[in-house]
Amino acid sequence: MRSEADHRAVADFLYLEARLADEARYAEWLELWTDDGVYWVPATTDPDADPERHLSHIYDNRARIETRVKLLQTGVRRSQEPASQMRRLVSNIEVEAAADGELVAGSNFILAELAVQARRELHWWAGRVIHRLRRVDGRLRMSRKTVVLVNAAEPLPNLAFLI
Amino acid sequence: MIDYKHLVQDDRIHASLYTDPAIFDEEIERVFHRGWVFVGHASEIPSPGDYVTRTVGTEPVIMVRAGDGQISVLVNRCRHRGTMVCPADRGHARTLTCPYHGWTYDLRGDLLGVPYPGGYTAFDKSANGLPRAPRVSQYRGFVFASLAADGISLAEHLGPASRLIDRSCDLSPEGLIELTAGWVRHRCAANWKMLPENDSDGYHLGFVHMALFRTIRTQYQRVVGDERSIKAVVRDWGHGHIEIDWSPGYEGLFEWLGNACGSTVERFVAEIEQRDGPEVARRRFREGPAHALIFPNLFLGETNIAIVQPVSVEECVHWHTPMFWKGVPEWNGRLLRMAEAGMGPASFLMPDDLIIAGRNQLGLHARTSPWLLLGRGLNRETVDADGRIVSHVTDETTNRGFFHHLRAVMTDA
Repeated sequence: MRSEADHRAVADFLYLEARLADEARYAEWLELWTDDGVYWVPATTDPDADPERHLSHIYDNRARIETRVKLLQTGVRRSQEPASQMRRLVSNIEVEAAADGELVAGSNFILAELAVQARRELHWWAGRVIHRLRRVDGRLRMSRKTVVLVNAAEPLPNLAFLI
Repeated sequence: MIDYKHLVQDDRIHASLYTDPAIFDEEIERVFHRGWVFVGHASEIPSPGDYVTRTVGTEPVIMVRAGDGQISVLVNRCRHRGTMVCPADRGHARTLTCPYHGWTYDLRGDLLGVPYPGGYTAFDKSANGLPRAPRVSQYRGFVFASLAADGISLAEHLGPASRLIDRSCDLSPEGLIELTAGWVRHRCAANWKMLPENDSDGYHLGFVHMALFRTIRTQYQRVVGDERSIKAVVRDWGHGHIEIDWSPGYEGLFEWLGNACGSTVERFVAEIEQRDGPEVARRRFREGPAHALIFPNLFLGETNIAIVQPVSVEECVHWHTPMFWKGVPEWNGRLLRMAEAGMGPASFLMPDDLIIAGRNQLGLHARTSPWLLLGRGLNRETVDADGRIVSHVTDETTNRGFFHHLRAVMTDA
């Protein structure tokens, strides 16, 4: 069972995570992960996708999440130099309690990205995100974030920012 | 009349090669439609009725396996009104049926029937099949097609560069690779030639990929040191096939595989040693798979296979999938993670390459100085015993090999 308080806390978490990603606040974003976090962006919208058999856009364990962030923090990650201007809307939030006590939050997003690094194009991204959230020392942390882009299986421009 | 001999010189090329829509159109015709082009791998369509959709140049095609096992490359366009017959990336079908008026083709593209045939008199079904690539040929499961009825054979096109494909396939205990993980496609706002050029450029790593080198150790670390200490080389194999060979810089086994070790490696070593003997096996495990461009659109990207797809003069798509070695499926998970680390829009390498390609494309619109320099290494390249041009890994031997072949293709009678 989940409470109204859980729902509120999850929404606050999702909004914070979205804002930190939008504003390239990499260290603070990394703080939102548990030590065993898994960050998955499948390359298909097929619900049966298996990252052990199918190629993904991102399938990071905790160590690789840290590498991803460190690259951005060097300031010479060419594909994010300078960082894209971004704002995302998070909506349609649904929260369920999992058997292990974690909260499972589904949400939809639309993200406007101004890719300022070359042609200065506005890219629109949209999809469904499933967060698994765990309380660690009284605060919600992500143990898994799965981002299913509506165009997951299409040719994509650079996705070097935090989606 | 475009003067390619002027635009492609021995040590410089003209910017219009990347920006002129008329040149793009001629390249599609001469390079992609008359020449041999990589379409896909036989392992992608293992059973009769399996198909994948691709492009040959800008031509949409279906690569499909028929009941007799033969692979055809059919133009993905109904003969009747031009409707795309197969819109999906992949599928399985007993027949290919157009959704518009129900024209139905078999898996070889032959027209089986049309609804309400009374509306035609003396209709010749045999003349109205799906247009097909007149020449389709395989090398170790790599399927190539040419839309021209005549021309050199695939074996002539590959020439000695078939050894580059061998180098990648021979790491499989069964001598075969499998492309079963699916493809990721990465959009690039640049002319298609930037991709094969960058894929075979050993000069850019320390600059474009500076963030990666500052963050983690990789097998490419050896090429960002002192110029004289770098042992890796580039080679021009002829016919536009070009290579970076990192292996002269590798000392141990599996450096190209992140210094893999453990029981998975032991079984791998045992299998290849049993087949090839310990000496050849050790060489294979030290050298690793090829890093090479098979002209014009197949990139053997070490543990990945990539395709270069031209879209328009300023747009292309880079496809990639991990190369699985048949017979050692325990490697697949690691190969997936390596593919995601290196290639694709969210990886640690390619986004940086493709954004630089995009900036190249922007810069090339400056016409005050329209020439690009291509002479690096002309002072030190040599020809080896096999007739290949070899030079320091940072030299433009690869770009020259690519462009000089392109010039030949564009000016051939």
